[in-house]
Amino acid sequence: MIRRLFIANRGEIALRVIRSAQRLGIVTILGASESDKDSLPARLADEVAIIGPAPAAQSYLDVAAVVAAARAARADAVHPGYGFLSENAGFARDLAAAGIIFVGPDPAGLDAMGDKLAARRVATEAGLPVVPGGEAADANAAMARALETGFPVLLKAVAGGGGKGMKRVTCAEDLPAAISMAMSEAQASFGNPAVYVERFIGSGRHVEVQVLGDGENAIHLGTRDCSIQRRFQKLVEEAPAPDLPDAVRAGLEDAAVKLTKRLSYRGAGTVEFLVDAETHDYFFLEMNARIQVEHPVTEAITGIDLVEQQLLVAGGAKLTLDQSMIRPHGHAIEVRINAEDPAEDFRPAPGVVTRAAWPAGPGIRIDSHIARGGVVPPFYDSLIGKLIVHGQSRAEAVAGMARALAALRIEGVPTTTGLHRRIMADPRFMAGGVDTRFFENFV
Amino acid sequence: MAEISLVDVSMRDGNQSLWGATGLNTAQMLQIAGATDRVGFRAIDFASSTHMAVAVRYFREDPWERLRRVHAAMPNTPLQYITTGMRFIAWQQADPDFMALTYRCLQRSGIGKFIMLDPMHDADAVIAGARLVKQEGGAQVMAALTFTLSEVHTDQFYADFARKLAACPDIDLFYLKDPSGLMSAERVRSLAPAVKAAIGGKSLEIHAHCTIGRGAVTSLAAADLGIVDAIHVGIGPLGEGSSLPEAGRMLANLREAGHSVAVDEAMLAKVSDYWWRLARAEALPPGTPQAFDASFTRHQIAGGVMTTTRRQLAELKLEHRFDEVIAETERVRAELGHPIMVTPFPQMVMSQALFNVIGTERYAQVSDEVLRYVMGKFGRPTSPLDPAVEAAIRDRPRAREIEREPSFPTLADLRRKFGPHMADEEFLLRAVMPSDQVDAMLAAGPSRGHYNPDAAPMLRLLRELAGRPAARDIMVEMPGLRLALHGGAHVA
Repeated sequence: MIRRLFIANRGEIALRVIRSAQRLGIVTILGASESDKDSLPARLADEVAIIGPAPAAQSYLDVAAVVAAARAARADAVHPGYGFLSENAGFARDLAAAGIIFVGPDPAGLDAMGDKLAARRVATEAGLPVVPGGEAADANAAMARALETGFPVLLKAVAGGGGKGMKRVTCAEDLPAAISMAMSEAQASFGNPAVYVERFIGSGRHVEVQVLGDGENAIHLGTRDCSIQRRFQKLVEEAPAPDLPDAVRAGLEDAAVKLTKRLSYRGAGTVEFLVDAETHDYFFLEMNARIQVEHPVTEAITGIDLVEQQLLVAGGAKLTLDQSMIRPHGHAIEVRINAEDPAEDFRPAPGVVTRAAWPAGPGIRIDSHIARGGVVPPFYDSLIGKLIVHGQSRAEAVAGMARALAALRIEGVPTTTGLHRRIMADPRFMAGGVDTRFFENFV
Repeated sequence: MAEISLVDVSMRDGNQSLWGATGLNTAQMLQIAGATDRVGFRAIDFASSTHMAVAVRYFREDPWERLRRVHAAMPNTPLQYITTGMRFIAWQQADPDFMALTYRCLQRSGIGKFIMLDPMHDADAVIAGARLVKQEGGAQVMAALTFTLSEVHTDQFYADFARKLAACPDIDLFYLKDPSGLMSAERVRSLAPAVKAAIGGKSLEIHAHCTIGRGAVTSLAAADLGIVDAIHVGIGPLGEGSSLPEAGRMLANLREAGHSVAVDEAMLAKVSDYWWRLARAEALPPGTPQAFDASFTRHQIAGGVMTTTRRQLAELKLEHRFDEVIAETERVRAELGHPIMVTPFPQMVMSQALFNVIGTERYAQVSDEVLRYVMGKFGRPTSPLDPAVEAAIRDRPRAREIEREPSFPTLADLRRKFGPHMADEEFLLRAVMPSDQVDAMLAAGPSRGHYNPDAAPMLRLLRELAGRPAARDIMVEMPGLRLALHGGAHVA
């Protein structure tokens, strides 16, 4: 059982973890960088440990510093949140060596899912369909793969995640330049130049399944649709994924549970699929072995606190939930409010928030670490909060989100609020089931 | 020196004894479920069919959803459900198939321990209920030895009853249940060993209410015997009063007596602090230590029933006959075979006594409840009724009407009525509750998952302010706080 939990993250997710941990009666210690020491999570945590200076490489990404701080704080577990060290198997191993629980799957599970090729292999073994494609060590190999699978193709870093280093290539002439850029980006971001070439599905939807496992049993908590993306970054997420035939939805959920069981997976995870918007054929993409940014939409429809479940399983408990106890209700949508400047092509716009009037009301949830006077430092991502709206139906959720966005006022930094207002009013979005090319025709 | 566990009754019996079962909603329980799970309780007394009905009627909350969500947050502690065996929400005895479905759904939703209580101490009824539970899942069954003072409720009576039940493999453990707080320390020293001798290796717990200040001392005396494994307690404001002994005090006293209790004291303090903050925020009266009242051990009439009777007499300008009514209550109880004085029986017995005192002759007027009781609709009375009284009660036209009352429909008939595709949980509620109440519950959607006692008064203020459309902009300013409410915004 976890008694002292070290939170190796910042921003809204740190606050989110603190809330669930405190509810369980766990003492929380926030590992914060110098620039976050006065943040809202730092004020609400029971204790704060400074792990390093502002730049992430010297604080939130510094494995040795975080492990040392967790140890000094006498933490018996570390919650990594998302991003940063959340899927770093080396970090999980170092914690284990220090006798500290990593709130997430075991290092072998992280290894299996962290490497896209290994993940693809395990998924294939578990009987999941995968997108045609394969690894390429150099430009020639990439060309051979591309000719095999057919253009357009997508280049991805083998070790990557979060859309970094992804390139879409429509014809053979563009491939050599794209591959060298992708490989150098992969090297710079993930320390591994290997890239992966796969068939690009023209009209694809990004649908994912939330899973929970305790090493033996596994259940799913339904689907989410994250097709509204800009440059492979998710902007709007919803649960359940709209406009899917029941058989397809059930197929996705079953496949996700099969994979989770195959991995003897412990904790919360997300199995991502690419769904062909026209044929509804689906392909396994990857499994994210952590809590996702968009987890609140699943919490809204299922009533299950996913962070609480992560902490319980990490503490050694077996899941008390079984599949029959998961009864999704209604529809939920989340939008990410980022401090970005729409006039400057959505460049991150750090600064001080002079007014933060978040909406409130039935069905509205705000996950944010930013109140009036809150600081958005230039060192990290630009997410300042998530607005989640739950309604009895999708139409009700969309209308509720539009109303909530109309009431939202953030001053001091530019935000993506206006963009979201336009998305909610877009007839394609209102109809539901858009593909990932949504922004190509977005005015 | 014994190893003693604690069972927390705060959310069910504490809430029922002190706050009329309407004190707590799903979010308020869910908020503290995870921490409560970590205290180290042997079980959490959590639900009953009364609580489930209150969830629907009063809070418009789905009681099944409540069970599932609380269970999800509590992997370490079984949730306990108290039942009289063959009834679910409706007062009538239900069809066994219907009860089997109820027990199946309760276990699927997370109930891990059942209390099987037959107020008449009918062993066959308890065994039948236990068998149904075991047939539908793996939950534990604890049989209630419901304590009362009467000439028939001797140590031997309880030992004989317990022996019959202990022979049944479907009954795992027992508890001495003292719902009115009548048991003295002296009595537990003879009663618990007599029962323990009858149940052998099966575990024994004690549940002694504090109604006349005896609960804590009796529980401690039971612990000292070394044959009782668990003591039932309420936490913070949900202990004392007519509830169970307060957990923190009980823990300290047990340790003082040299017993070992595997409870995390710091975690218990956190949970207690939460209940105190909630009680203050919601203006719910905390349980307070009760003074001893010797007369209560004679008449056993709970305060609420007593007050109602006094008021009725006052309205009839017959206050001076109150003592007569009390004496008549004792007489009626004996004539009716010494029913245990827990709801609905004290109300039933005392109102009969009132009719007998103010009427032209004894049993000239008889309530439907008394008729149903005498006709065995609540089960088999503990000891035989006075034959003359029974004959007098049965000899009236109303008795024949009640005899013809339709019995609880069969499961198959109910399924036909509601259609074969209705989900089990909704079906069970619709079978026993008015449909408009179930409709309203479903329309309200899922329950909230969070509750913050510190913010609750502020949210209430905001809700009321927002309900006044004339005030478009409202500002509350005080040191350290500035709160602005602008027209158009609304607060849940």
